[in-house]
Amino acid sequence: MVELKNVNVHYSSGVDALQDINLRINDGEFVFIVGGSGAGKSTLVKLLMREITPTTGRVFVNGKNLAKLKGNQVAKFRRSIGMVFQDFRLIQELNVYENVAFVLRIADQSSRFIKQRVPYVLNLVDLAHKARSKPRELSGGEQQRVAIARALANDPGLIIADEPTGNIDPRLSYEIVELLRDINRSAGTTIIMVTHEHDLVKHFGGRIINIDSGSITFDDIIGGQDEDE
Amino acid sequence: MRTSNATYLVKKGISSVWKNFLMSFASFSILMVSLLLVSCALLLMMNVNTIMGNIEDTNEITVYLEENVTDEQVEHIKSVLEKNDDLTDVQYVSKEQALEDFRNDMAEYSELLDYLEENPMPEAFLVRVKDLTKIRAVDKALNQIDGVEKTKAPYDFASVLTHIRNTFSLIGGAVLLALIVVSIVIVSNTIRTSVFARRNEINIMRYVGATSGFIKTPFFVEGMFIGVLAGAAAWGLTWLVYDSVFSLFSADLTLWQMFGFYGLTPFEDIMWLVLAVNCAAGALLGAVGTVISTGKYIKV
Repeated sequence: MVELKNVNVHYSSGVDALQDINLRINDGEFVFIVGGSGAGKSTLVKLLMREITPTTGRVFVNGKNLAKLKGNQVAKFRRSIGMVFQDFRLIQELNVYENVAFVLRIADQSSRFIKQRVPYVLNLVDLAHKARSKPRELSGGEQQRVAIARALANDPGLIIADEPTGNIDPRLSYEIVELLRDINRSAGTTIIMVTHEHDLVKHFGGRIINIDSGSITFDDIIGGQDEDE
Repeated sequence: MRTSNATYLVKKGISSVWKNFLMSFASFSILMVSLLLVSCALLLMMNVNTIMGNIEDTNEITVYLEENVTDEQVEHIKSVLEKNDDLTDVQYVSKEQALEDFRNDMAEYSELLDYLEENPMPEAFLVRVKDLTKIRAVDKALNQIDGVEKTKAPYDFASVLTHIRNTFSLIGGAVLLALIVVSIVIVSNTIRTSVFARRNEINIMRYVGATSGFIKTPFFVEGMFIGVLAGAAAWGLTWLVYDSVFSLFSADLTLWQMFGFYGLTPFEDIMWLVLAVNCAAGALLGAVGTVISTGKYIKV
């Protein structure tokens, strides 16, 4: 469960990035966080990743107050969530298999487990046949699927996808969101997807949280077009 | 951490040495030169100490006794000298023995001594000083013993030797310190380049939950590996340099022997110790350089 209580983030530049945010996302939910450029979406992601702590207020993920995590506890917390970024953030020197295996090594998993787990998650994103390819040999959509496989590797309860469709062909964007929804439905993984693509959100529907100028202006469930179809 | 994951980090660090070849080579070279000079300086100091010891062993003070000392006084002076911790090898020389020694020294002119009506040589003690640096103080103390006429001590030779040793230690120490600082700066720059080349990867590692230790370990391996390689290379070069110098002084040359150049340590006797010290020093310098760079440029 993710919970933000009376959260304010004030940057030293004088910008109030988030103001009095109160938010609760339950386990197993799929939530879209939408908003324009500079609305505060990135700040929210940084809070959830524990890259920053709020100026005032508290952020809880799975019952942990993130501001109280110190040193290696932060690293351990990040291993318990999966992150997907707009720019994929794959290590170019490593092949697809190694990019996924990498996070399992960080989590100090055994070689045996890594050999079983990596093909399994690559299969989930339908990229088992590209295991030996380097990221630059893949399309944008494929690279993002590798990033999703990497996020799934440690079997996290929560995946935060920060503009995951921002750098890929619009046609493939739907496939990526569909993949995330499949993961949500099949494994019960909580998914928070940050995006500015309203068409995509309208298409899939679900719980939508709109942020504008650092405040939540809308938080409700809407029906998606794919359900109407 | 599991062995397989530790091995992965070690491999990653070593592969980075080749990827970052030019900077690694620069670090390797400067570290090798530093370690070569360090090990040569240490071996030189070790042998200079042996040579100084050899010279000190032959370093005698002659303690001349007054003309009319009694046997009891001689015995008393002997016991005072033997109790003095700064002295070794207390040896009594009677008037007769002194004359005999002088006669032998005079060689073909020794007949001249037959014309003497009485033995002019004083009774004396020959003593050796353990530590050359104390010779002046010891000599002063000996002159104050009741029944001692005067002493003869090789002040100048002793002070020159002591001065050389002290100057050598001072200059050697300063040069070594400068080289150590330069080595650390160069290694630190190499690691900084490596950190820069892998900045995206480091960022990704942070986001996916790598601990500080996991991120920094390959850089430590890289710095320490360069250090150990440089230490081993410096060891090989030290061996070459040392052996050529050793063969020069250990040849049967009476001239060198006269100056105390004997009893030098053959490299084979200390080769493994020198290798271990060189590699350990290289690894330590590599690690210190890495600590500086990673502490400054990797914030987790």
